[in-house]
Amino acid sequence: MEEDEFFGEKTFQHHCSEFIKHSQQIGDGWEWRSSKDCSDGYMCKTHFQIKSGTMVSHPGTYAGVQTCPPVEEVLEVPLDDAEATETAAASEVIKYEYHVLYSSSYQVPVLYFRASFLDGRPLALKDIWEGVHECYQTRLQQGPWDTITQQEHPILGQPFFVLHPCKTNEFMAPVLKNSQKINRNINYITSWLSIVGPVVGLNLPLSYAIATSQDESNAL
Amino acid sequence: MAEEPESVLQLPSTAAASGEGLMDVSPETATPEPPSSAAVSPGTEEPSGDTKKKIDILLKAVGDTPIMKTKKWAVERTRTIQGLIDFIKKFLKLVASEQLFIYVNQSFAPSPDQEVGTLYECFGSDGKLVLHYCKSQAWG
Repeated sequence: MEEDEFFGEKTFQHHCSEFIKHSQQIGDGWEWRSSKDCSDGYMCKTHFQIKSGTMVSHPGTYAGVQTCPPVEEVLEVPLDDAEATETAAASEVIKYEYHVLYSSSYQVPVLYFRASFLDGRPLALKDIWEGVHECYQTRLQQGPWDTITQQEHPILGQPFFVLHPCKTNEFMAPVLKNSQKINRNINYITSWLSIVGPVVGLNLPLSYAIATSQDESNAL
Repeated sequence: MAEEPESVLQLPSTAAASGEGLMDVSPETATPEPPSSAAVSPGTEEPSGDTKKKIDILLKAVGDTPIMKTKKWAVERTRTIQGLIDFIKKFLKLVASEQLFIYVNQSFAPSPDQEVGTLYECFGSDGKLVLHYCKSQAWG
């Protein structure tokens, strides 16, 4: 089948839909949003993380990012409490948004993302890079602007950071070829996101990998 | 950021089979530990109770990636995917700008912090975990 050569928008939407089905099963928070005229859409997820500061030593925290408890608990943190001023400096809640859109020029999915504090202050690219996994740091340091750029979200029109899609075909090709060879359908979005996600702090739970193998009997 | 281990998932052993025959594995006896390098820290190896500290991993190349001479490795359960990637890159003498990806089920790249022990629990079969690896100039 030619689908591995040509990843069209319909295929993109289909794979997103399968991906979201599994996300709903495990409560991973991905959802589909359509553009105003419903001609296209994207997949998105928001999650919150507590980022510990480095200046104030706060018992129980460590330098690093830990996943936040559910949003309701987070919002109960008294940010205007005097004692919490120290807390606020030591550990702040950051809201990460990840959007998966289709690029018709590259004919691949693209990962858009942004991060902000709860008061709306956006995180600078520098801060986001610091959260990038160590194994990708070398490449980012060699040429950061080749990898992550800032662009206007095609549907929302707001500035987002984008993981550049020009190499997507290159690293997806062996996976797709191999899946053809062993006669197994894979979910392009699942495979792709499992590869690019960690670069920007997005890690997919393992159950997506199992879902893929269970879906293999579904014809595309 | 720590991922919770997927301990609730119980896979029948057939589900984790990689599909293509494991018959093409070169008949090697259980190989010694990976050569010590910065990426592989020699931890204490005494097994405690019933849990083996090490699991068997079979590494398979995808695409044009060089094939490792030694494919079968005994690896500590706590070794992360990132650690394994670093090890394979050193072993294959890849340059820093080349990316190496590791896949389970030939389709899914576990996050770099994932421990191989967890992967073995979820995807292992016949006493080993099959991992496919692929080289790419991903961000070149």
